[in-house]
Amino acid sequence: MTHTSLLGDLIELNEVLDADRAIDLEQRKQRDRSIGRKLQRRRSKPAAQIRAWLQEFDSTAARNSGLHGTRLYHALCLALVITGLLTGWGLTSAVLFYDGNQPINIVNAVVVLVLPQILLLLVWLVAALPIRLPLFSSIGATLGFLNPGRLAGHLAGIFSAKENRGLAMLWDPDNVAILAPAARWLFSFWSQLFAFSFNIGALTAAFFLVSFSDLAFVWSTTLDISNETFHQLLITLSTPWSAFIPDAVPGAELVANSRYYRLDEGSLADAAAASPQLAIELGQWWPFLIAAISCYGLLPRLLTLGISWHRFHHHLRNAVCNLPGAPELLARMNSPLVSTLAKRPEHTHAATVSSIVDTSEAPHYAIRCPVIDWSGACTRPDELTVQLGNMGIEVLEYLRAGGRQTTEQDEELAASLCRHRPKGVGILVKAWEPPLLDFLDFVRGMRRQCGQKKPLIVLLWGGQDSVSAADRETWQLTLAQLGDPDLHVEVIGQAT
Amino acid sequence: MTVPAFAIVGHPNKGKSSIVSTLSQDESVAISLIPGTTIDNRCYPMAVDGEILYELIDTPGFQRARAALEWMRSHAGTAVERTDTVRRFVDEHQGDPLFSAECSLLAPILEGAGILYVVDGSRPFGEDYEAEMEILRWTGQPSLALINMIGDSDYSEDWKKALGQYFRIVRVFDAMTADFDRRVQLLLAFGEIREEWRGALEKAVHILREEQARRRTLAARVIAEMLARMITHVRRRKLTADEVMDDAREALLQAYKQDLAVMEQDCRDEVEQIYNHRNLERHEPGVQLLDNDLFSQQTWLLFGLTRQQLIATGALGGAAAGSVIDLAVHGASLLLGSGLGAVAGGVSAWLTSDRIANIKVLGHSLGGKEISIGPMRNINFPYVVLGRALLHQRMIEQRTHAYRGPLELASRPEQLQLADATTRRRFEKLFSKLRKQETWRADLVASLASLVENQTRTATP
Repeated sequence: MTHTSLLGDLIELNEVLDADRAIDLEQRKQRDRSIGRKLQRRRSKPAAQIRAWLQEFDSTAARNSGLHGTRLYHALCLALVITGLLTGWGLTSAVLFYDGNQPINIVNAVVVLVLPQILLLLVWLVAALPIRLPLFSSIGATLGFLNPGRLAGHLAGIFSAKENRGLAMLWDPDNVAILAPAARWLFSFWSQLFAFSFNIGALTAAFFLVSFSDLAFVWSTTLDISNETFHQLLITLSTPWSAFIPDAVPGAELVANSRYYRLDEGSLADAAAASPQLAIELGQWWPFLIAAISCYGLLPRLLTLGISWHRFHHHLRNAVCNLPGAPELLARMNSPLVSTLAKRPEHTHAATVSSIVDTSEAPHYAIRCPVIDWSGACTRPDELTVQLGNMGIEVLEYLRAGGRQTTEQDEELAASLCRHRPKGVGILVKAWEPPLLDFLDFVRGMRRQCGQKKPLIVLLWGGQDSVSAADRETWQLTLAQLGDPDLHVEVIGQAT
Repeated sequence: MTVPAFAIVGHPNKGKSSIVSTLSQDESVAISLIPGTTIDNRCYPMAVDGEILYELIDTPGFQRARAALEWMRSHAGTAVERTDTVRRFVDEHQGDPLFSAECSLLAPILEGAGILYVVDGSRPFGEDYEAEMEILRWTGQPSLALINMIGDSDYSEDWKKALGQYFRIVRVFDAMTADFDRRVQLLLAFGEIREEWRGALEKAVHILREEQARRRTLAARVIAEMLARMITHVRRRKLTADEVMDDAREALLQAYKQDLAVMEQDCRDEVEQIYNHRNLERHEPGVQLLDNDLFSQQTWLLFGLTRQQLIATGALGGAAAGSVIDLAVHGASLLLGSGLGAVAGGVSAWLTSDRIANIKVLGHSLGGKEISIGPMRNINFPYVVLGRALLHQRMIEQRTHAYRGPLELASRPEQLQLADATTRRRFEKLFSKLRKQETWRADLVASLASLVENQTRTATP
């Protein structure tokens, strides 16, 4: 089951965008750009484009929320229509109550059924202004609770959370920055719907009473108002419809004949004229009353209802484009999908290192051995010899390997060195350069040539700087891959 | 025209992956202490709606360059044969674990990729680099050398002299700290190594600049949405009959603070996602609420109406009912019907409201006591939140994807200082509307986002 209402879409969109935040942005970009490219025709109409996106997105759970919200909205509309109809019918029946004793004072009918509507219409116009008038703001805040639209909003709260959640987002304080204008016009729409229904109820009741009973209207006042003045007043009041429905404008004769005095249990101005003909004439006020209710009640309310509905939907459309996440969605749909990320996950080599090659805190070897300078690490041999001496390593000679030497020369060096059965071999390396497989090959070669148990001491040289802890760790971890228990890693100077 | 491709090559642990990570804005690139972590080529295409404008190829570092060069020298007769010899080397050693790194890194170069040779300029030049540079020269492909400054020391001048002998273009680039402009300048430099690639790279840079601007706009929007929600947020709590008010207020305050913290964290996460930072560790203290007694108010509600409103409604309803009687008797009752109706309606609303409030309809109590917190009235609060958010956005925008340390937001000044009075007035106008919950247009957040976006360009939080 689907809904196509803007309100339903807004509720659905809010839910979808909320849930969407949990999805990785890259995925959202790809998904929305793909949908957006299909919807490029609607790019100039962002609200329509987002609604079309929603159709493509097709979330059942969110759609249900939209449905529940729309149903609740329609239920409240229906409740307001019924309440308005009943109120209009009831009030009109009371005002037009006539049991044959005292005729209906047309002044009362106008005061109750027409005048408040004109006043309330003026209040609505002030409230509808896009600027805030301080006096009206405070009056509005004080009497706002009497607004049938707002009462309907409060009534929505008694429905189940599931049904209420969607619609209530309109007046949720957290959404006020975006949805307050829509909520305001929704309340206005509901108010006008009530008022419009009220007028329909009032007119229906009036027609019913006019059709199925005989009504006698009079006019009565204590004020010193002449028939002519009252007639003039009525003509002014009837101006809007006098050109179209001249029969609904009371004539001077009717005004004069229907003036009523309560003295002597009620009498008309021309008591002698009391006759069936007069009774018929007194009933002729009804077109005026119907026209007045229609002109000052029904039609303006129809207009305000239309305006409210239009403004409500206008702001709903704006809200669709401004909901949290909606501008981002539009940007994702309408901007080129720029990707700089890798196509596939990275395959890395996880070295199996069960332990690391330890370094000594204060190494002292007491050994005389040759030191191999790997790749030209040794730039200051005198200084180096002193430092190695402090570590108990007496340098027999410096030999070169790696760097500009060929691998063949390296192999020959290892072979000739081990033929002299040294007690151990020092290999001087640049600590800042990572140990490559080239170096590991050389160490393996040395071990093959020199046999087991001979200490091979990798000496980390920091050059002008001291050896960093990170560099030391890199060497320890990498050399541990050889699994050689007699391979040592030592730092010349102190690691930082 | 072929798509420009660039193979990032060099010694292991000299920042190849960092450069790739920074240029591709991809934090999934593995960066490790152990050399040889990258064992396979990984392609990072820059694609716009599926159209690839260029490709970066991260490669394993050279492992046995000397041995490889020795093989090539032994198989090449003249300089003319060198490129073919390199190709032969790759063909013959394909699948050989001894030269797997060399074969992997040379393969894309032999297919036409430009060479971006990366060295660490904070470490001295050494002879152990010569073999790999020589191999790269033998490939005959256009090349550029990048001196990546990983540490504090500076040996870049020595490196320039050495690299200048092998590479026509040598650039210094710090992959950890390079801002967006430096990144795009580097991309434009790639275009210098082969003329026919320049157009595609210029187009790519243009699109990347647009994308960067779009990211800023989106980040500003996300910040504006967070600000609007934090300012207008209201938390309510219905009180049970036996609940202690102080406890309820404290619980509500904590929940309110938690809500604000979650909104802020969500915003941070989203801004980080916009800039492709997905797994960032962030250290940031929670925002201070600045005022402890501004939130709580106690109201009694029925149908959402306060007790006063309910009594007034009852009175008006009663008056309306009474006025029908007055009308029916043509005012003979001297408005007694309206008056009595108003009194009766008001009094009955007052007397029965408690009982009605306890009635449950569809599982909901019709009324009861409620306390609420919010919206935030403190005028400094939005500026504090905005200052923090702008600081975060700025740091994220400038942060490269190679940098893997935590994002520290703790020790910076918090409140946004706006020197420009007009801007402050515009901000205050919007904040005021949000505080009063007075808004007539759905695009208030859009206006706020526009102001925030201007701040992302100008403000220094």
